[in-house]
Amino acid sequence: MQSFLHCGVVCLALFLAQARAQDITAPKSAVAGEQVSLSIAGSGKGTFYLIGPGISNKHEINLGEEMKLRGDVLRTAGDYQVIVCGDPCKSATFYVMPAKPFSISFLVHPSRVPVSQSDAVSGVALPFDQFHNLVLAPVPINFQLAAGKASLLNKTEMTQSGAAWFRTASSKSAGALQVTAAFQDISAKRVVQQVASEPCNLRLTGQRNAKGILVQTEPVHDCSGNPVPDGTIVSFTANAGGVKSTVDAPIKKGLASAQMDANGAAVISGASGVVMGNELRMGAK
Amino acid sequence: MKFILPIVLVAVTAVLIAVALTTANATGKTVGISAGSAFLTAKPATPDQALSNLLLNAKRRNWDEAFNSVSNAQPVNKQSFIQDWTGSYGSLRAFSSLEGYDIRPLHITNDEAQMRVRLHWTTPVGPIEDVRDFRLAREGDIWKTLWPKSDMPNVPSQVIPVTYLRWDLVSGGSDDEWGAKNIDAPHVRIVSMNPLDFAEGAVVLGEVVNEDTIPAFVNVTATLVDGSGNAIDEETSFDKIDHILLPKQVTPYRIDFPKVNLKNVKNVRMNIKATLVPASADPVIGVMNQKVDPDYQGKAVLRGDLFNESGQTVNIPHVIASLYDNNGKVLWVADGYVERALLPQTSAPFTIEIPKNMASKVQNFHVVVNQYSVGRN
Amino acid sequence: MRRFRFNSSASLLALVLVVGTHVSAVTDDAIKIQFDTAKTGPRAVEPLTQKSILRDYRGAWNSMAAALESNSLDPLAGPFIGEARKWLGESVSSQQKSGLSRRYADQNHRVQAVFYAPEGDVIELHDTAEYQLQILDQGKVIHEERVTAHYVVLMTPSADRWTVRLLQSVPQF
Repeated sequence: MQSFLHCGVVCLALFLAQARAQDITAPKSAVAGEQVSLSIAGSGKGTFYLIGPGISNKHEINLGEEMKLRGDVLRTAGDYQVIVCGDPCKSATFYVMPAKPFSISFLVHPSRVPVSQSDAVSGVALPFDQFHNLVLAPVPINFQLAAGKASLLNKTEMTQSGAAWFRTASSKSAGALQVTAAFQDISAKRVVQQVASEPCNLRLTGQRNAKGILVQTEPVHDCSGNPVPDGTIVSFTANAGGVKSTVDAPIKKGLASAQMDANGAAVISGASGVVMGNELRMGAK
Repeated sequence: MKFILPIVLVAVTAVLIAVALTTANATGKTVGISAGSAFLTAKPATPDQALSNLLLNAKRRNWDEAFNSVSNAQPVNKQSFIQDWTGSYGSLRAFSSLEGYDIRPLHITNDEAQMRVRLHWTTPVGPIEDVRDFRLAREGDIWKTLWPKSDMPNVPSQVIPVTYLRWDLVSGGSDDEWGAKNIDAPHVRIVSMNPLDFAEGAVVLGEVVNEDTIPAFVNVTATLVDGSGNAIDEETSFDKIDHILLPKQVTPYRIDFPKVNLKNVKNVRMNIKATLVPASADPVIGVMNQKVDPDYQGKAVLRGDLFNESGQTVNIPHVIASLYDNNGKVLWVADGYVERALLPQTSAPFTIEIPKNMASKVQNFHVVVNQYSVGRN
Repeated sequence: MRRFRFNSSASLLALVLVVGTHVSAVTDDAIKIQFDTAKTGPRAVEPLTQKSILRDYRGAWNSMAAALESNSLDPLAGPFIGEARKWLGESVSSQQKSGLSRRYADQNHRVQAVFYAPEGDVIELHDTAEYQLQILDQGKVIHEERVTAHYVVLMTPSADRWTVRLLQSVPQF
């Protein structure tokens, strides 16, 4: 009886021990997309499990043979657990690291920016390998900003924890700003539209016609001389004999115009956004 | 014996049907609707009866019968008479139906009468009331309605070039890399917010501006929060806002909270959502001859004329007005739909009612025109 | 007779002990997260953003654990996008085919925000995560261990929450 008990306790201890790792030889790390070889000690049949990011496989294998894991199975970077269940189950862990940079994810903001604003444009570049794993090893990223032929920025930043960034001012002229992030022969391009600021010096002219008064602005610019984009609304107001008329007219080819219904003497004004224009006093018809 | 009860029931039913259909209710309430069928109407021996017959037939869309109620003394085109009731060019009236009417005599002599009618319309945008005056004249032993000449604008044929800006939105494919879809949402800003108690609830009103260079689809939401930080209610502006804002355009907004008292509200959380949307700067609609004066019933209204400066028909114009006090603060936001379509290069009148307790404080106003047009974005 | 009863009691006790240790009935599923934003740059994390990220990151781990335990793709729909969504989806599909599943229990995360973009459109987190990991084959536990893992996480703001775009395990930071 004592020997029976002793045996039971030992068996229990052995059963609970769960020996690991020593019988599975795996590399400490591997590169995404590359084949990995594992050697598994033992004899007889067993069940092989591979658990990792994107994969949970199970195969019946012969223990004692070398296992080759294909590159396409190990394309996602992360930790992979290998479990071999003969009697008992053994396990090992190895890491798959990202491959070399293949593409750059480039986030640039904003997509539209008023001219002549400091720290208005910023961007973040993140290098990824061909399997979309973030490359965490430092990578030099070259940032370039160009408005037409004029270069606004040309600097190189090393990625830290997989990210590099920049921030700069917008230029004085409206138009498309080409923004590029590049590493060797890999690059990503974005376009930021530089737009005119608020309208400046809104000037109105008016002319009587058969239908009333035709009001028009002079070419509408911001204070830097950039034409305000077409489609911007200019609100015209005519006050005549205690009666008010308004027209919200969009700028078309740099000018906004509206037909106002006013036969008597009228005072006409215009505004766009927070900017008021001059007042026109038109005599009666 | 056993047939007596069924016979009695049938007879009583027949009598009740006949009474109901032949007697026009004095208030003109709905009696029954069956388009095109010839129900009996009483002899138009009085102005009230004559007008009731016309309105009842108009409600039932019995156009032949309705037109027979109109006097031949002035030339009236039957087609334009019908169009007056049914609307045209996809206007709001074209999607509406006459629900009921209230007739009140203004002036009656032996041979002529003037009656005021409050028409109750059911429309896709809710119930609308319209007040019209009708003139009637006696012709022999019956009365007939003098139908006014139609004021449908006559638009001459012409070619109008459309040169206003249009914005299209290109969304990109689903496979686009991260960061490639780099278009920021439009920058819009709430420039004013004013909560106040009104009727049996509360309202939050103010104005919003599109500070960007591209059109925005905007919606404003307000959450009323009590002293413990719990939300009491959350509502949106629904149609009390011009949703599509062109660059630098300003719109009023009003958010209604029925059955909420502001004394329980400690905070108002505003949220404005702006999304990219294709849009067109056309049509340009002028708001002419705006003024505040009393209407038929002595109520203060803001009235004016909408002028369509473009070449496309505006099917359903919607007018929204901000009313300001002498400090420039938004006192009230009122809106109204114009039931007639706005044809190119033509005008249509509009009227917006101002609440009685606000009318005396209104010093200035700003009107914007929203529009729903068939086949447009 | 007495000998038999004593032996059967001992065996029963041993059986209970063996079964008890391997079933590992973990009843506390609450995920504990410590979130540190003290060294984040170039942009500082706003207090409200911190709360949102904490809430949504916890939600993402809850969803991931639920998806990998129940072998269902539904929990992944909201909290994950991009590559993270893709590989988690592949994990679930792979598990469905092989009859495997994973269980993450008793999770503790020490999360540090290391990078927050100037416009706030991406944040990078370094997560030292400790959890009890069980691998199950047809519902039977074949492997169990207390894991300490290091994750590089990229989160981006979407319409109503922060979503996990990348969840990449690394040997160390």
